[in-house]
Amino acid sequence: MSSLRVTGLRVRHRKTLALDSLDLALGTGVHGLLGPNGAGKTSLIRVLATVARPDSGRVELLGDDIAGHRALAGVRRRLGYLPQEFGYYPGFTVREFVAYVAWLKEVPAARVPAAVERAVARVGLADRVDAKVRTLSGGMVRRVGIAQAIVNDPDVLLLDEPTAGLDPEQRVEFRELLRELGTSSTVVVSTHLVEDVAAACTEVTLLDGGRIAYRGTPEALSLLGERAGGPGDHPIERGYTAALRAHRAPGAREAVR
Amino acid sequence: MTGLLLYARSRALPATLAALAATAAFAVWAAGRLDAYLDPDRRVPIVAMAPLLASAVIGASLYTPSDELDRTAVRRWWPRRLAQLAGLTALAALLVTPAVLGHTETFGPPAVLRNTLGCTGLTATAAVLLGARLSWLPAFAYVTAVYLGSNTARGRAATIWAWPMQPGAATGAWATAVTAFVLGAALYAVRGARPEGPRG
Repeated sequence: MSSLRVTGLRVRHRKTLALDSLDLALGTGVHGLLGPNGAGKTSLIRVLATVARPDSGRVELLGDDIAGHRALAGVRRRLGYLPQEFGYYPGFTVREFVAYVAWLKEVPAARVPAAVERAVARVGLADRVDAKVRTLSGGMVRRVGIAQAIVNDPDVLLLDEPTAGLDPEQRVEFRELLRELGTSSTVVVSTHLVEDVAAACTEVTLLDGGRIAYRGTPEALSLLGERAGGPGDHPIERGYTAALRAHRAPGAREAVR
Repeated sequence: MTGLLLYARSRALPATLAALAATAAFAVWAAGRLDAYLDPDRRVPIVAMAPLLASAVIGASLYTPSDELDRTAVRRWWPRRLAQLAGLTALAALLVTPAVLGHTETFGPPAVLRNTLGCTGLTATAAVLLGARLSWLPAFAYVTAVYLGSNTARGRAATIWAWPMQPGAATGAWATAVTAFVLGAALYAVRGARPEGPRG
């Protein structure tokens, strides 16, 4: 069953059409969202996170159309979101920042301290929980962002460039966390790092020019790369470029849709 | 720590309260040096500038570095935004008033209250359109221009456009200031401050 479904989604960003009549349904698992800059990945994530409104189309999250306020409130309780740049309050410690987001998500007050400790421990920052966020390195701040996104144990988790700034060891640990979260939640990860997708995702969606250029498993995308022999150092990179080129070929767009 | 306290800290309310108290203390100190008991009109700089400073402090408190996450909150934001703006406006008027006690018909507490409402309304509107960090600028430019240019202005129109310099009993000035506050507060409550990145 799909916990996330968009139909005919159109989003304009200034004068550009960021998403063009997009249809997409995602269920439990880890879904990689790939695509070149300007493909519409962030626009899609922002609409799914309920922070941007689509120009047209229908968005259903966890079975509810999010157009109504009551449904929206219910969905937001069960939603986790890591924006590309999330900002933070300079005076807050890690604990306070994650607790603040738990409050925004209306996690019951009695559960907040334990939920915060657990989320911070899951991203490997338990020893820095009382450090000011502004004193942390870029990679640690990113992990604080991931902690706030999972503090309410979300059923739908949206992560925009979550591994930016993480070192290789942290990325490996983060992939492990993704796989764990994907067993019970719908996790959407927007990234440029195709090796993260190959390692942690159960499904991949490739966007280009606001449309879906490819959908399938990471293994199928790697196989496509091996068959098509496009440029790239890794099979999935070759699959990525092959799928993009096929989508951009004259007459291919209608075929993909 | 409860969520509401974290919310207050996220909007830098402790620093805002301290800045408002400092503004009020400065206004009282400055008013004491004007010998206004001889002529209440000497209070005009206090009546015009103290609310302007207070509104700048309030405008800065409307900044949020994490707007994107705040927009995923379960509850609607407008009641919190409205409570923050209205509460700080009331507090600012209350704190600045002791600087100009008496002379209610000319430049006393009613004029300070009116100017606090008007300046905060302009600042709130600017926070929505320009962002909280620059929200003080339009009100500062307008009130300064009126302060420098309205000495010879007379008539009904002047009570409207030169509202910060009018006596407390001028109804046209009240209408303008209240309208500015209602529009600014409504706009801010509905839309919030314009999103700004960590580096502006």
